[in-house]
Amino acid sequence: MIRRQFLHKTALILAASTGVVAALSYFRQFFPRIAGKKRRITLGDSARFPVDTFTYIDEHKLFVYRDHEGIRAVTAICTHLGCTLESTTDGFECPCHGSCYNSQGEVLSGPAPRDLSWFSVNKSSDGKVLIDPGKTVAADEKFTNT
Amino acid sequence: MSAKEQDIERSTADRTGDPDRKRRAGIITRNFFLHIHATRVHVHSMKPTYTFGLGIILGFLFLIMVFTGLILIIYYTPSVEAAYRSVKDIVYLVPGGRIIRNMHRWASQGMVIVVFLHLLRVFYTGSYLGKRSLNWVIGVALMVIVLLSNFSGYLLPWDQLAYWAVTIGSNIAASARELTDLIGITSFFDPGGFLKKMLIGGESVGQPALSRFFALHVILLPLSIIVLMAIHFWRIRKDGGLSRPVRYLKDRGTENKLLAWPVLMWTELALLLGVVAVVLLVAIFADAPLLEQANPAHPDNPAKSPWYFLGIQELVSYSAFAGGLLIPVLYLVFLFSIPYKDREDEYVGQWFSGNEGKKLVLWSAGAALLAVVLQLFVLIRFGWLKDWIPGISQWFVLLINPATITAGLFILAAEMVKRRKKSSRMGALVLFTCSFVALVVFTVVGIWFRGPNWEFFWSAAQWPVQ
Repeated sequence: MIRRQFLHKTALILAASTGVVAALSYFRQFFPRIAGKKRRITLGDSARFPVDTFTYIDEHKLFVYRDHEGIRAVTAICTHLGCTLESTTDGFECPCHGSCYNSQGEVLSGPAPRDLSWFSVNKSSDGKVLIDPGKTVAADEKFTNT
Repeated sequence: MSAKEQDIERSTADRTGDPDRKRRAGIITRNFFLHIHATRVHVHSMKPTYTFGLGIILGFLFLIMVFTGLILIIYYTPSVEAAYRSVKDIVYLVPGGRIIRNMHRWASQGMVIVVFLHLLRVFYTGSYLGKRSLNWVIGVALMVIVLLSNFSGYLLPWDQLAYWAVTIGSNIAASARELTDLIGITSFFDPGGFLKKMLIGGESVGQPALSRFFALHVILLPLSIIVLMAIHFWRIRKDGGLSRPVRYLKDRGTENKLLAWPVLMWTELALLLGVVAVVLLVAIFADAPLLEQANPAHPDNPAKSPWYFLGIQELVSYSAFAGGLLIPVLYLVFLFSIPYKDREDEYVGQWFSGNEGKKLVLWSAGAALLAVVLQLFVLIRFGWLKDWIPGISQWFVLLINPATITAGLFILAAEMVKRRKKSSRMGALVLFTCSFVALVVFTVVGIWFRGPNWEFFWSAAQWPVQ
């Protein structure tokens, strides 16, 4: 009887652990291997952005702001539920649930829980504007070498 | 007589010995599909004003979904490039394709409406009582899956409506981030992001999301509905037929029971024809919406989810975490737990548990309406915390808003009634009624009174021209 109990228990443990491993590896299939790092974005010559306005770059969902001192880039994705922001005269507004941000990307009203992220801006060796969405910077940090 | 025939003979034997009755009972015993009913059904279960046939209407609507879905799946292409075109093709090139797509859409909306009516019927007749708790839980699970099926189907046409509704939906799934951000642990513990990634396979809605929703919509969810529906029906039989009032509970044999064949079966066939006719008529005269192709760069303004989620979208406009996750999860926990918290079986099968319950339901509905409308009035007229105290901590926004206050008030009221009346059923009546009224009010506001930038408007005619 003792041997039977031992075999019974061993079989159960084996079956259970096989099941757990199978379930975990099955579950893993839902998460493809995508590089977590966000790719840098090349935007072309800085002169193409009009001065003193937010220019919306729709394929990357961000705004580029250029003034006489330099260039800054801010996300156009609302921190609330991911709608695309619209730029207004003094900031940004979300059409989905009415969150408002000032031109520094700080939340003024509405349900947005966080301020907008500003991205690091650089210049490539051939003079194009480079934006790195993986690297956030302070709102007033500009790329000045234009 | 063979052993099999003897078996049938025994199970269909009728006390009157009437050969015709024996034959009618035998028809059901011998047929797998007719087993949906017992050979004899209690008269009380057949009262139209007891069930309104809602459960069986849901079954019929699901049949329509399967049959129309089969046509749609033949022509539909689940790819970002081709999906929108293929839906256009279904509408304009496939013979009768417009009607089929419309039927699919309107039957699905019908399912959402009827599933809520069915929930109301079962709750208010106390039909989760008397050992029917498991079937109640299966029913609530079915309701959730019906909503998910609807939502997953919403993305497939890949139009503006689809794209933005699912963008919002997937970010609601990620709304646990609002909490983890506040605690400051998102970088190493991010259940919201995990759930979102599992749902749409990335950071934003694209091909992976479309493929996943397609798989959910045509395989996983319908299959789950079929399995759970089978168990749901089987449990009705195991639980001794539909619920009925205490005075009928002693009818265990053939007392007060009628043979199901043929009249009940014919009535239900007529109901099936009626349901198909109604859906067909609606499909002929009303077209399912199809906006322009999805444009990930620009949302429509306002961007609204499907109407049955607009109550949640209204809550989400206060706080993503509270409105999108906390309150809906609490509501589901409440629904699932009802039969385990309330076991007063004497109220089974009785609309509103008698006169006392009826009064309580009316009072609760009125009070809930007042409480919710009052809060909405303050919110819309005077703003909320962020407008009063700029820079207030997000903790307060998350914890103190019309969604959480409403939930807190209702739970308190239900607990008080439960104590005072010393009855868990009365407490359940209060909480269920209040939360349902709130759900309706928030949904109505989301559907008709919210315009561009989610601002309040009395009617869409007042929306600013863009």
